Amino acid sequence: MIRFDCLTLLAPRITDQLVVTSLSGQKIEWASLSQHPGNLLVGTMGTALGVGIGLAIGLPQRKVIVLESDGSVLLSLFNLATLANLGPKNLIVFVFDNQVYSGTRISEPTATAGKTDLTMMARGAGIEQATTVRDLAAFAREMDAALNGAEMKFIVCKIEESVTHREITRTDLDPLENKYQFVRYLERTEGRPIFRGRG
Amino acid sequence: METELAQKLVAGLKLAGIDLVTYLPETRLSQILPLLRDDPAFTLVPVASESEAVTIGAGAALAGKQVAIYIECTGLYVSCYTLVSIARRYGVPLLLIVGYLGSMADQRNNSVYAVSGAYVEPLLQALQIQFQVLQTGERLEANIQDAVRQMHALKLPVALLFSGDFTR
Repeated sequence: MIRFDCLTLLAPRITDQLVVTSLSGQKIEWASLSQHPGNLLVGTMGTALGVGIGLAIGLPQRKVIVLESDGSVLLSLFNLATLANLGPKNLIVFVFDNQVYSGTRISEPTATAGKTDLTMMARGAGIEQATTVRDLAAFAREMDAALNGAEMKFIVCKIEESVTHREITRTDLDPLENKYQFVRYLERTEGRPIFRGRG
Repeated sequence: METELAQKLVAGLKLAGIDLVTYLPETRLSQILPLLRDDPAFTLVPVASESEAVTIGAGAALAGKQVAIYIECTGLYVSCYTLVSIARRYGVPLLLIVGYLGSMADQRNNSVYAVSGAYVEPLLQALQIQFQVLQTGERLEANIQDAVRQMHALKLPVALLFSGDFTR
């Protein structure tokens, strides 16, 4: 199973859900598959899950999907304990675990290539429903259940390292442009202003 | 901090429209926590690291919450990365409520805090985060409102550093 195939299954299922991406490959792949205004292409390591938790708390009636990676989750492990205790029911977290820091381009292994199991760590933090999928059929099953359900989900997707994203033209969406696109979309769909202040 | 000052601080946050507070508790301003918890106007979000106080706060702010982040000044060191990579890079209005341990006017200052306190203001300057040091409750409500107005005008984090009477 590679990440691009998982994201290809997820992209057509997005209606009014908000999607927060982590860095590098998955950001590039997701931006090529989805130009939805509810995408927030965070793209820095160890930050997407926190931003997604904040969005889920701020918009409890809205489904928030976070696309994370093993290296990124490992950088901000405190997120797991906080997520467990807050438990936002509208949050779905997919952790694409390829066991390498792929941005290094030398396949430098992460801790999950060794003894570390992110699903067990999440469970230990208190996310009892954390689960692992290892093939595309299992991913599709868990994705359906998560999108149709009303519970928080934490799904670790064990994937092969892939360089698909290196063949894709990167989005030129600037972070500020992305923010305003995202916030204006929320303002339209939530029917209320987000930012204060007048020009 | 005296109860009356804690009440004044919480009332000021409420008056300025703050409705969500991410926090990692510390020693100087902690008396505000039970007051915030008892007031339904506030959503309190306890975190395990100041780093995620920023990311979670930023997500909530982009969802339309008026966010304060309550941390010890040493937490600014911990949260530098997320202040730059999320709050600054995306331009997110956040009010930093910071216990200014180790500052000259910290009434409980000692060798544990003094060194950490010494780098706080240069750090905020390096991060281009505007800040004000408050030592008394005089004009507290106005100071908070000024900071909130500024964070919305800039769409960036703005910090209030609490020393002096707030550290008794």
